[in-house]
Amino acid sequence: MKLQEYTLSTHNFEECMKRTVCTAYCPVLQVNPLYPGPKQAGPDGERLRLKDPFFFNYALKYCLNCKRCEVACPSGVKVADLIQAARIKYDKSPVKWRDRLLASTDFMGSLAHPVAPVANAITGLGITRSMMDAMFKIDHRRVFPKYSQRSFEGWMGHHEKEQTVFQEQVAYFHGCYVNYNYPRLGKDLVKVLNALGVGVQLLEKEKCCGVAMINNRMKVEATRNATHNVAALSKAVDKGLMILTTSSSCTLTLRDEYPALLGVDNSGVRDFIMMASRFIFERLENGAQLNFKPDFKKKVAYHTPCHMEKLGWGVFSEKLLRMIPGVEFTMLDSACCGIAGTYGFKRENYEASQAIGEPLFAQIRTVNPDVVACDCETCKWQIEMSTGYTVMNPISILAEAIETNKD
Amino acid sequence: MKFNTVIIGGGLAGLVAGISLQKAGNSTAIISTGQNALHFFSGSFESMEEAPKRVTDLFTEAGIALHYNPGVRLMPMGTFKKAVLSLEDISLFPEPKIGHKALIVSLTGYHDFFCDFLAEGLEKQGMQCRIKLLNLPELEQIEKSPSEMRSVQIARTMDRIWENVVREIRILLRDEDTVILPQVFGLNDASVLSRIRQGIPAQVIFTGTLPPSVPGIRTQMLLKRRYELLGGTYLMGDEATGAHVYDGIVHSVVTHNLGNHFLEAGNFILSTGAYFSKGLRSNPFEISEPVFGLDVEQAPDRSDWYNPEFMREQPYMKYGVATDSSLHTLRGGEPIKNLYAIGSILGETRPELGSGGGLAIRSALAAADEILKPTAE
Amino acid sequence: MSNNEFDVIIIGGGITGAGTQRDCAMRGLKTLLIERSDIATGATGRNHGLLHSGARYAVNDPESAEECIKENMILRRIASHCVDPTDGLFISLPEDDLSYQQTFVDACRKAGISAEVIDPELAKRLEPSVNPELTGAVRVPDGSVDPFRLCAANMLDAKLHGGQVRLHTTVTGFICEGDTIRGVHTRNLVTGEESDFYAPVTVNAGGIWGHDIAALAGVNVGMFPAKGALLVFAHRVNNMVINRCRKPSNADILVPGDTVCIIGTTSTRIPFEECDSVAVTPDEVNLLITEGAKMTPSLSATRILRAYAGVRPLVSSDDDPSGRNISRGIVCLDHEERDGLKGFITITGGKLMTYRLMAEIATDAVCRKLNIDKTCETATTALPGSEEGSYEAVAQKIWEKPSMAQKAAAARMGSRANRIKTRDRLDEALICECEEVSSGEVKNAIERLDASTLTDLRRRTRIGMGTCQGEFCACRAAGLLAKAHGCIEKERADLADFLQERWKGNFPIGWGDTLREAEYTQWVYKHVLGI
Repeated sequence: MKLQEYTLSTHNFEECMKRTVCTAYCPVLQVNPLYPGPKQAGPDGERLRLKDPFFFNYALKYCLNCKRCEVACPSGVKVADLIQAARIKYDKSPVKWRDRLLASTDFMGSLAHPVAPVANAITGLGITRSMMDAMFKIDHRRVFPKYSQRSFEGWMGHHEKEQTVFQEQVAYFHGCYVNYNYPRLGKDLVKVLNALGVGVQLLEKEKCCGVAMINNRMKVEATRNATHNVAALSKAVDKGLMILTTSSSCTLTLRDEYPALLGVDNSGVRDFIMMASRFIFERLENGAQLNFKPDFKKKVAYHTPCHMEKLGWGVFSEKLLRMIPGVEFTMLDSACCGIAGTYGFKRENYEASQAIGEPLFAQIRTVNPDVVACDCETCKWQIEMSTGYTVMNPISILAEAIETNKD
Repeated sequence: MKFNTVIIGGGLAGLVAGISLQKAGNSTAIISTGQNALHFFSGSFESMEEAPKRVTDLFTEAGIALHYNPGVRLMPMGTFKKAVLSLEDISLFPEPKIGHKALIVSLTGYHDFFCDFLAEGLEKQGMQCRIKLLNLPELEQIEKSPSEMRSVQIARTMDRIWENVVREIRILLRDEDTVILPQVFGLNDASVLSRIRQGIPAQVIFTGTLPPSVPGIRTQMLLKRRYELLGGTYLMGDEATGAHVYDGIVHSVVTHNLGNHFLEAGNFILSTGAYFSKGLRSNPFEISEPVFGLDVEQAPDRSDWYNPEFMREQPYMKYGVATDSSLHTLRGGEPIKNLYAIGSILGETRPELGSGGGLAIRSALAAADEILKPTAE
Repeated sequence: MSNNEFDVIIIGGGITGAGTQRDCAMRGLKTLLIERSDIATGATGRNHGLLHSGARYAVNDPESAEECIKENMILRRIASHCVDPTDGLFISLPEDDLSYQQTFVDACRKAGISAEVIDPELAKRLEPSVNPELTGAVRVPDGSVDPFRLCAANMLDAKLHGGQVRLHTTVTGFICEGDTIRGVHTRNLVTGEESDFYAPVTVNAGGIWGHDIAALAGVNVGMFPAKGALLVFAHRVNNMVINRCRKPSNADILVPGDTVCIIGTTSTRIPFEECDSVAVTPDEVNLLITEGAKMTPSLSATRILRAYAGVRPLVSSDDDPSGRNISRGIVCLDHEERDGLKGFITITGGKLMTYRLMAEIATDAVCRKLNIDKTCETATTALPGSEEGSYEAVAQKIWEKPSMAQKAAAARMGSRANRIKTRDRLDEALICECEEVSSGEVKNAIERLDASTLTDLRRRTRIGMGTCQGEFCACRAAGLLAKAHGCIEKERADLADFLQERWKGNFPIGWGDTLREAEYTQWVYKHVLGI
């Protein structure tokens, strides 16, 4: 090897040229002066932390992990990874019960969905919300996502047979949200893929991707899930299946956060994990046909979720939506909605969360679309709660726009 | 995805090429590794001694007002520098004499604007200067974070409270004919500049700060918006990692984010900048171009890359990708027929195209023209 | 005594001069230190910053080894805010003779240095950056010491004991009366002002330049200028000092110092004329990387921040008629005994580690001449900043909830960080973002630590020592300096000098991210700021 032919550093922090471009695009900095900003929290702080963990700054918890700093960085520094890795490594304070609760999405889901009407009624009650605020510092102004009484996995169990008729098969990593809160999105995906002649299978057993655990420093739990999921994904890949997803945060976690923040090797499966919008776009681009409803009309404003921005795949959802006849498309400005998974649920972040999202909300109100399209479930809750507009995954909009012989 | 042209690099050169091509109906995508050199744009286009209509039109259509006035501008450290074609933020003067008395206004706790240096520079030109620091309660929020008294953060607040600033300055102003302010205004909306100028009964000169450059970010934002409005696809935060080149032609580009989804096109433009933008890569042994492995003109011995005097011209800054007369890049001495190099990745290999902003614009237009040329078939 | 009369004049603002001034001042003498440039500009600031355990010398020079371990233990106590007690490893690689390890360990123990043979696997766990192929490892009490901080603290303590310091002042000649030196003629290199100062004893602590100072006094001190080149890597790759367990050779010490780590060194004899302008050659750079990467493979792919070289003030034995002190490294010449020149002492040789002992020896000699009988207390009295223990405790004591910059200030200033505790929030503004230096800390260095140029500030606060090498902080700090001394013209020149000084260390390793940064700096200063 030639000496100094390349230089390497953890999350590329030495490539930082101190241009402060990241800070210019950090949504948190604009609303929270207690946050030191991505440059100081990331590459600058890293040099000091390597000297002595004493230099770890607890204000790093204000980072949303939206990755906008990484998208903006012209040098390829993984700023947000640096910050999250530092939180995991140096923050020795115990993880709060509240954070554990919020992060354990599949555990909560498995408890709540069988008793969904009761759970929804309870979480919807003012008194419950006040209690959660008082006990756990979960902000009482937050509207909780509703649970579905029947999980998506349960539904698929009944429709497994139908899927086997298709010669081509894909696997679907549905995520906790589709499973417990919103099975309709999963059903919509099945409808669209079936229309393209593709059958859908579940993974042998998927667990929560762990995005919320990572953001809440639950490395042990997150690593357990990651290891499990990579094994499950490998089995699907070995069967020759692509793995499709409908949530941008799950996708980013499965593809990029596992190796970068948990040290879980996913190299055998990474390139087979794909947002469904990309898969479908590629099909249509290569000549596949869908039977669009002739009278479909919808004014759609597309919001690129931060993690979709980071994946660089917003373009697929955009182009897919634009392909739908009858869609009047508006691209919303690239901006964070402020929820960032569990972040906005915490009482200490509520105001910042809403302030971060306000420019986006204002633009949505100006555009006044029939529906906001977006590939992220937490953005959906945030935008629906804050603007009153309906938010749909692009796949659901597509499903609505096509006719199948089942309809 | 298929396009007529794929542009690698989303800075000034890439955006000018992209806008020109989109306008002509040529569908394009721009791959941009993060934000770019416009974030420290000085506001004046270097080596643009003329102002061709197609250039001013292109910017005007994007909502960017340029003005053309051969002369000098006031630099942040109190010196004067030749400047011709500039953003409206920049005041241009026929000679380094801008008035008799100046009020230089900055903000308490702001270290990125150099009042004392400005005053000394202007006093050398016979001006009388008075420095005043504004203590604005609205900035307290930013001051709390010791690392964030920076141009962009201040500008965000200033876009809301510029009227208060005008009021404060009107109170401070005595008999000065000139007011000098840091470039922390008009981040999202340049009309703030003219409204400030109207509101203050003296000539107002906005002078540069340490980067990031507020007018630069606005320029980037407006050019990008214009490009997207024309139907261009701007892939922010992605990076070209390789390409499929055979038979002397580029067929597609591979990017980090898109993986095995290649970007196919008939023509490709390389506008990835020089070293700090990673268009050129260096190690102890050579300077190379990382995406295509193009020929880079350079001195073979590393010792010849530098001048030990910092302020002298640095040889390494002249190196760049080799091209033929039509800006086709060369690899192994052979032109790649559908790959053009534009902007600062050319270094000073094409002195007739100028340098800096001038080079970016001229080479971008030249490459776009070359691509749009009707072919013989 | 009038204003220009002193008990002792010390020439040289390196660690030897500063240490000597402190010792003299603590023994009640009225002292003046004269330095033609700034503190620690010679060999003091141009070495590894290694807090030697002495292990390196144990086999070949047991006397030096003993001195080192004694001083090592003393510095941990009196200069805790300058010292990072990291411990060190002496590793054997497959190409090294492992049997040397036993010789080495025996010699260390004999010299009183704790040397613990540890399992290579344990060594890898303790210091993950170490070459995994290592065949043996010995743990010793090495550490790192910040020479700038140490020098500044000694000088500050001298001042607190009534000492006076004149920086940027050169000695233009000696005031002689017959065979006695009565004082010095000086010129301030900034203002041009000429002054005479008188003292019965003058100490030459000029390091390698002591040769010229002695010549000016008409005596000959034969020095042997040996250049040593070093490389600074942009972050801490290692957290323990790493040495090769073999006969001392080139590039076999990697020292973690503050936010960086430093590999060195080489050794080349150079002519005296080159002492003021030593440059690092491409061959030296290659050698340092190649050898360094053998101990710590990741150095082959780690960003290098800068290259620099120092000149060791070794005393050539041929020219020293007394020859007594050579083996110990420390040379104290009483020129009355040696050359018949009264009132003049040269203290030289030695090393950073033994500066305190050198100062004690020199001060003893001064006191003998002045017939003063006072014992040396420098080994037991903490330096200013080191009185209150760890910087963690100091930072929390001063601020309760310290910010990053406040923690960094406590790490640099020790308990003196309370000087920058301020009610003015604006003093919290960061000047240097890479090293977390606040406006308040810069102002403190200007007001209390005699910093008058940007390079002076760098030595006292670390501004410009981080990854961007002064790109942003230089002009911010220039603004503060200009305010303090009121001369913009001068500050413009200072800024240009500073950028030149930074470039000097950058271009020998000008590739990769360093070249990217350099290009950006060019752009910012020439095109954006227009200097």
